[in-house]
Amino acid sequence: MRYLARRSAHAVLLLLAISVFSFALLQWAPGSFFDSMRLDPRISSQTVSGMRAEYGIDRPFVVRYARWLSSMLKGEMGFSFAYGTSVGPLLCVRARNTLLLTSSATLLAWLLAIPIGIWGAASKGTWGDRACGMTMSALLTIPDLLLALILLLLAVRTGWFPVGGMVSAGVGGVDFWSRVADVARHLILPALGLALATLPILVRHIRSAMIDALESPFIGAARGHGIPRARLLFRYALPAASNPLISLFGFSIATMLSASVIIEVVLSWPGLGPLMVQAILARDVYVVIGVVMLSSVFLVAGNLVSDVLLFMSDPRIRVE
Amino acid sequence: MGESILRKPGAVCLFAVIVCAFCTMSGRAAQRKEDLMVTKNAPGRFGGSITVAVRSDPKTLNPVLAVDEATREIIDCMNADLIHINRETQQTEPALAKSWSVSRDGRTYTLRLRSGVRFSDGQPFTADDVVFSFELYLDEKIHSSQRDLLIIGGKPISVEKIDDYTVRFQLAQPYAAAERIFDGLAILPRHLLENAYKNGTFAQSWSVSTPAGEFAGLGPFRLKEYVPGQHIALERNPYYWKADLQGCRLPYIDELVFLFVPSEDAQVIRFQAGDTDLLSRFSAQNFAVLQRGQAAKGYKLEDLGPGLEYNFLFFNLDNLADKNLPEIARKQVWFRDVRFRQAVSAAIDREGIVRLVYNGRATPLWSQVTPGNRMWVDASLAHPPQSLDRARELLKNAGFSWNSAGNLMDSHNQSVEFSILTSSSNAERTKMATLIQADLAQLGMNVHVVSLDFGAMVDRLLNSFDYEAAMMGLASGDADPTAEMNVWLSSGGTHLWDLTESKPATPWETQMDQLMNQQLVTMNYVQRKHLYDQVQEIVAQDLPVICLASPHILIGAKDRIGNFHPAILAPYALWNVDELYVQ
Repeated sequence: MRYLARRSAHAVLLLLAISVFSFALLQWAPGSFFDSMRLDPRISSQTVSGMRAEYGIDRPFVVRYARWLSSMLKGEMGFSFAYGTSVGPLLCVRARNTLLLTSSATLLAWLLAIPIGIWGAASKGTWGDRACGMTMSALLTIPDLLLALILLLLAVRTGWFPVGGMVSAGVGGVDFWSRVADVARHLILPALGLALATLPILVRHIRSAMIDALESPFIGAARGHGIPRARLLFRYALPAASNPLISLFGFSIATMLSASVIIEVVLSWPGLGPLMVQAILARDVYVVIGVVMLSSVFLVAGNLVSDVLLFMSDPRIRVE
Repeated sequence: MGESILRKPGAVCLFAVIVCAFCTMSGRAAQRKEDLMVTKNAPGRFGGSITVAVRSDPKTLNPVLAVDEATREIIDCMNADLIHINRETQQTEPALAKSWSVSRDGRTYTLRLRSGVRFSDGQPFTADDVVFSFELYLDEKIHSSQRDLLIIGGKPISVEKIDDYTVRFQLAQPYAAAERIFDGLAILPRHLLENAYKNGTFAQSWSVSTPAGEFAGLGPFRLKEYVPGQHIALERNPYYWKADLQGCRLPYIDELVFLFVPSEDAQVIRFQAGDTDLLSRFSAQNFAVLQRGQAAKGYKLEDLGPGLEYNFLFFNLDNLADKNLPEIARKQVWFRDVRFRQAVSAAIDREGIVRLVYNGRATPLWSQVTPGNRMWVDASLAHPPQSLDRARELLKNAGFSWNSAGNLMDSHNQSVEFSILTSSSNAERTKMATLIQADLAQLGMNVHVVSLDFGAMVDRLLNSFDYEAAMMGLASGDADPTAEMNVWLSSGGTHLWDLTESKPATPWETQMDQLMNQQLVTMNYVQRKHLYDQVQEIVAQDLPVICLASPHILIGAKDRIGNFHPAILAPYALWNVDELYVQ
């Protein structure tokens, strides 16, 4: 319990530091939301100045940060200049969509990576292992953007998958299961793209952890006792290799979140990514900070969960 | 039991009294015959839906607070104005005001409203709604971006209810484009928004999270469903006030869906995939791509010619006395010399820009008014082709010379070198800057193209003035010159080449100020046109901005869409959405 409390306190401090850093960076970035309004010949500079004053853009940095922090505590997460509303509700719906995508992709990536990694370790040095290693290296070199574009091309050329979005227009009136099926159909390509983006790293780590475990003396002893291969791999070697994999779980969430921005934008998935890109371009600073903070929360929470799992699974950490 | 009560004579009388009282209370407005506007379109077929892609979610559904293009496009389908600009003819036409009259001094406009018209929630529309709406637009605390349109002669226009169906607008001075200011100003339901306004919560009302049942408008559609990040669906307004020649109430389609597709390329892909029915605002490159599958995929493409957008190059003429920018201030000696600007203009190959940047789907420009603006373009303006000889002659006259390596040198023997800022998000302007770089290299000028994020670029143009030259494009929403007042008046907020002026810095700017102010109060079109022609001549001659090209408005539509008459004024394909139908 003390361990959990200590790790949670670290997480809060980390989030606070991220908030100060991102707030400062965005305040110093050139341009503001209202500058592009000044290029509209129909809007006078007096009107724009009035808006700037109304939204407190001209107030000192510390005052703006304090106001933002207090709105964070109220759950409003600041104010969007573009939407004229609190950032919290704006992010809520999109965060749900991003979570659906990243959790599906994480599940898919791990479901693929564990058998591939174990198989690679068990058949180390064989022709199949080398082919798998080369495929993973090739996949690792493909930028996320290119991967997303390839999937988009696949959707356009074949017509097998929707070319964007999360639901088909007009699906609102149909029954619950048809809507679930529709979302699932739209989810296939983005989830596959995201899973493929993280798969090579997962496979490499799982393979190397399994090789270490398989080469350890107790596995040799177990093998000597004639324990069947499958049981040896899944019952003995895999739990022994799980420590680095649990840490990798936290890391994979960070990778998923960064890759999801690109995948969401290219495949028009209505998550946090497109909202953040639009907010950056429009200089809607509190939306950007909100997305950064929410992504940081996901990341910190993922790491916290992996730390706790590690704590529970490894007696050595408990002793420390 | 009900039957036995009604059989009693006393009860029948009581019932009749209640019915009469109810009818009286529901007001004269509800009893008046509905004054439908009959359109001239070919009668269409009822039913079906049309899907369109827009770049982003609507930021609000409150017409008073809307600023960005995507939001306005959606809101305009749910609301109506008093007087409307017909996008095809570019002239005003009656809308919620069925007619109007102007006083002799040009300062009083009396508008007669359609009677019997209802909002999309069934409540009657009256002059009270008009007065209330203008109160909102004019309230300084609300910061409506449309407020500036309603300030005439430095004073806000005043509105007064004469009777339930007549309103009077009072202007501080005669205003040539007075009828046009009503276009796009949505009339809002007082019965739904008055409380929010009185409570000071109007800025939060009609946000994107407001339930559909709390909206009501006078447009052809009303809100059905909004799914953040995905789509907004609008349904047919059963009380809409327009009918076709057969007397059938418009609109024809049951549903209009806007998909949120953030990039142009993704919009093109979804149009090709059949997810959307209409496509506008796409590049000439994508037009060429779409042309290949035109017949097979059942859509048509149209090149409507130049719109109102004009792209230009301009030099930094700001007063930099209190800025620490000595290098730019040194170069301003060249930029301020009209012969230097004329030489740059003469050296630019506009036809090459049209050919190479826009695949021929643009029109070269020598002033700010494009040929698409039929009413105001100065057809007599000269269109000199690229001439390097003329450019060299002008530079020589301005005291420039060339060294042995062919580099252009100023009178202080400094080589002529400057940078052009462009926005990295606008590929066409970056390409134009690169072509200009090559053109000017032939004159011995060393030009650098600096591509910046749009926000960073705008910050340099408007705040720090840390730039030498820049590429920009402007497009006012209306063809009338008054929409451009802030660009051409020396005190205007969009007077990009010199934002530090409080009064004209040059004689030609003095003249331009006079002409623009004069055309504003001249009621005769021919006289106004003559004045604005002179402004165009000054722009072409003194070159505060060097106009380059106007991209064509390119539109795509499925063959099944009927009554499709796209126009060069926004919203290009949806301006007659109430008349569109699915064949």
